Amino acid sequence: MLKNDSSGAREPCLILRFFLLKEFKRYPFFFFLLVLTLTLGTGGILGIHLVSGEVRERLSQNAHELLSSDVALSSRREIPQEVTQDIREFFQPKSKASYELMDIYSMAQHPASGQSRLVEIRGIEENYPFYGTIKTQEGEFNHNELSISKDLALLWGISTGDELIIGNLKRRVATVISEDPSQGFRGFSLAPRIYLPLKDLKESGLITLGTTGNFAFHFRLDDSVNKEELEQEIYRKFPDPSLKLSFPQDTSEQSARMISIITSFMSLSSLIGLILSLIGVFYLYQSHLQSRLKDLSLLHLFGLSKFEIVRGVLLQFTLVFILVIGIDLLILLPLYESFAPFISSRIGIDLPGSADLSNVAGTIPILYLLALTILVPLFFGLGRASLGRQLKSQKTSLGRFRFFDFIPFTLGIALISIYLAQNTWTGSLFFFSLVMVFLFSTLFVLGLQWWLRRLTKGRGLLFPSVESGVALRGIMRSGHKLTMSFLSLSLGATLISFVLQLDHKIQGELALSATKPSLFLFDIQEDQALELVDFADKKGTPLEALTPMIRARLEKLNGKKFEKKKSSFSMRSRDDSDDPRLKDNAVNLTYRERLSDAEKIIEGKPFPDSSDPDIAPVSVEKRWAQRMGISLGDKLTFDVQGVEFEGHVQNIKEIRWTSFYPNFFLTVAPGYLEGAPKNFLAVLPNTFAGSKTEFQREVVSRFPNISFIDVEELIKKLSGIFEQSRQAIELISWLSLFVGVVILYGLIHDQVYRRHYDLALLKSLGFTQGRLLLYLFIEFGSLFFVSVLLGFSLGWLMANVLGLEIFKLSFDIDASRMLIPMVLLSILCLLTLTLSSWRAVRAKPRELLSDY
Amino acid sequence: MMRVQGIRKSFGEGKGKLEVLKGIDFEIASGETVALVGKSGSGKSTLLSLLAGLESPDEGVISIDERKITSLSERELTEFRAANIGIVFQQFHLISTLTALENVLLPMELLKKKNAMEEAQRLLQAVGLFERKEHLPSELSGGESQRVAIARALGPKPKLLFADEPSGNLDEETGEKVMDLLFDLVKETKTTLVLVTHDPDLASRCSRTIHLEHGSLV
Repeated sequence: MLKNDSSGAREPCLILRFFLLKEFKRYPFFFFLLVLTLTLGTGGILGIHLVSGEVRERLSQNAHELLSSDVALSSRREIPQEVTQDIREFFQPKSKASYELMDIYSMAQHPASGQSRLVEIRGIEENYPFYGTIKTQEGEFNHNELSISKDLALLWGISTGDELIIGNLKRRVATVISEDPSQGFRGFSLAPRIYLPLKDLKESGLITLGTTGNFAFHFRLDDSVNKEELEQEIYRKFPDPSLKLSFPQDTSEQSARMISIITSFMSLSSLIGLILSLIGVFYLYQSHLQSRLKDLSLLHLFGLSKFEIVRGVLLQFTLVFILVIGIDLLILLPLYESFAPFISSRIGIDLPGSADLSNVAGTIPILYLLALTILVPLFFGLGRASLGRQLKSQKTSLGRFRFFDFIPFTLGIALISIYLAQNTWTGSLFFFSLVMVFLFSTLFVLGLQWWLRRLTKGRGLLFPSVESGVALRGIMRSGHKLTMSFLSLSLGATLISFVLQLDHKIQGELALSATKPSLFLFDIQEDQALELVDFADKKGTPLEALTPMIRARLEKLNGKKFEKKKSSFSMRSRDDSDDPRLKDNAVNLTYRERLSDAEKIIEGKPFPDSSDPDIAPVSVEKRWAQRMGISLGDKLTFDVQGVEFEGHVQNIKEIRWTSFYPNFFLTVAPGYLEGAPKNFLAVLPNTFAGSKTEFQREVVSRFPNISFIDVEELIKKLSGIFEQSRQAIELISWLSLFVGVVILYGLIHDQVYRRHYDLALLKSLGFTQGRLLLYLFIEFGSLFFVSVLLGFSLGWLMANVLGLEIFKLSFDIDASRMLIPMVLLSILCLLTLTLSSWRAVRAKPRELLSDY
Repeated sequence: MMRVQGIRKSFGEGKGKLEVLKGIDFEIASGETVALVGKSGSGKSTLLSLLAGLESPDEGVISIDERKITSLSERELTEFRAANIGIVFQQFHLISTLTALENVLLPMELLKKKNAMEEAQRLLQAVGLFERKEHLPSELSGGESQRVAIARALGPKPKLLFADEPSGNLDEETGEKVMDLLFDLVKETKTTLVLVTHDPDLASRCSRTIHLEHGSLV
């Protein structure tokens, strides 16, 4: 009998010896597979969090440099003089220093080469920046002269001394900036930056009524100022929702948002790998416990309680998990060091040379708890097993599993999905998709089995051969392990297919085509519009979609005033309802008779031929309406440059933004806004014959305030960003699939091993080795092929549904992205099958005899 | 029917080499029922595996109907065994994913025998399990499983039937019934039976007994 120590507990040494030392020594292959499975499953998520943690850490450390001050008040439009005065007066007793800053997008010209392009112009004052140092390629940075970023210098092949034209200014380049800490992610900027003295920018003629950009006041606060109190005061003092308050933390979190989206998707992809690995862990442990059941029964007979047995298994697993994390980190840390420079160059953030383990400190316990949930059914099984009976019977078995045993695991997956996505909606959608794939695949397998049963009813085994007849019956009557092999493959295949097909759709949508414009023109003043159109006509390049844009503010919704919502701009949740930018009531209006080709009414009716002269029909974009809480029939009150204007929601529309034609959240029926101050947008179609560079240069020379976006360049940039994101997500998806294949190997190996006697028997009955292999290939191979086909089909369907729902893309298929990975995966599965069954098919029939 | 000459078999190598069979010679006539008896470790299962073509001897010749099975290739031996030899195992060893009927059908369809389905059904009837023909092995008792195994072994109408402790995993009453059935069928089909057993009562039911001790005949 087991001895108690003085406290009444069992000898802990016994548990340690039995469950740890002896087990590890006696079953090295089992533990090797367990460690391998878990390492592969957890490695992806840990690696992603290691890198993303460093990015966030870096941005947070550099937060003050990113904002280049302690606090900033900004607006998308020029702040009125009286408000400017109020701001200065408010901050004067609280701050040591301040500067004004303006960022706008406009055109710059290089007369020597004839080039012109869109640039971000930053107008600065002497104190800029309060934090960080602007580094130049040579010489000192001078606030009173023109400086350009190295990106522009490279693009145009220019350097110090070259002359540029900005608006009505001509200036020489004084310095080339090599590093500006306020720039954040360099790779994601729309245009290269140039720096001008603020007074010069104001004199350039580029700041006109309604110009949008970033108009800000930055302050360096006194040390005695309390940040929370200051925030409250500012919200009370400046209730205008168009004024935005930024602290350094907000800026760093905003900068990290893009990376956060990508890492969330990568984390979710690697979650698939983790789920597959946990399925593998479940089956490995199930087989192992089953084979150890007689020994456990003996221990139980000698006095060890079931609780203590479970505790022993738990201790064993915990030790394994610690080992797994150790291995993960041993691999990931050097990998990080090797790849940090590469990642830094891609994202434009200088990552430290070595990773900080605290970035994954929170993730590790979560992974451990999730892993434990997959063992819960086994613990229940142990609890239900009649251990005494196991000693008498030939075959051992754990107690039956129940549906409820798997609830902790299911809940765990749901919660971790939300945690990794950092967004309740996205995480829930992901979990729901997994459940759908699981349910669909399960139903498919059940349906297949039912159909096979019908097909084989009353028939012999020759179907058309005995091998296939036996194989089909194996599929029909296989237990849940074969189903899980099927599911693990179809899950992985679904993920790969989804990523590939979605990328195909997005790339297709972004591809330059005759339907997309070549150039997008904006900031066309009202008095320039006709002249510009005429000018373009004479050049043989007629402009299209000349569209008015009227700046306004949405003051009231159904008679209630729009109020500024105070909420933190946080990386912790990307729920749109928290984003204060989206509560900003500054809007751009346009007027049109009919909707454009990229718009479609989904609710309500088109503009009527005649309507109330005092209340204009308005068409509102669906998602914007949802964010602002606007519905069909609502009354909207606008402030259009100081004049009140009323409208009602006539219809809700959807817009295909990737047309790159001028589209607006709000379109008003004609006859109401024609007299309002406005500027215009237009596009140069792709079908013109001349040189767009030449056209751009001529227009900018003639109309210096008109800006151009090169749509081709933009599409390339967006495609590049998507391509990089896709590559990162696809890499993780293939890794997850690789985990699935490893699990598959384990499951097949286990399945084949369990059929060891069946295979030996078939040999004794007349199956040659070749026939045995063929039988296994038919049974497992056909199941794999069907699961891969199903997975890829499901992935295709999901990508198209998502494409339709979010991007308004029609259903289509990229056959090569389906067939090639399918074939590769099928070959991989067959290789796995061959490897895992090679020994088993060589089983000696002699092993069937009684004294073996 | 069967001739065994100078059979030797060892396992292991070097110092660990164990000679299990040390020169075995005997003959079995067609239609005979022979009991192969010996204590545990005497070499009877090894001998059985050689006679059934499941393994090859180190030395010696085994002939069945003048055909030297020890000279056949792996493939030829498999095919020969399928057509001429039936085996009933102590642990029944039914294919878990095939029904009782399909288990009986399997060896006959491998040989592409005509009327295999009818024959399988007849055999199941003969062993009293026709009503259980659609049941899987997991749904059958030990005795029922062994009866299916006997039906399966006799399906191809083998010349030789080897039974390795066929009642070893059954309770006494069931074992007796199964053995009665086995002997009846063997008699009816005039199949040569080699029965491995350490039960002297069972051995006495056979027409001849071969004693094996420490790898040699006594």
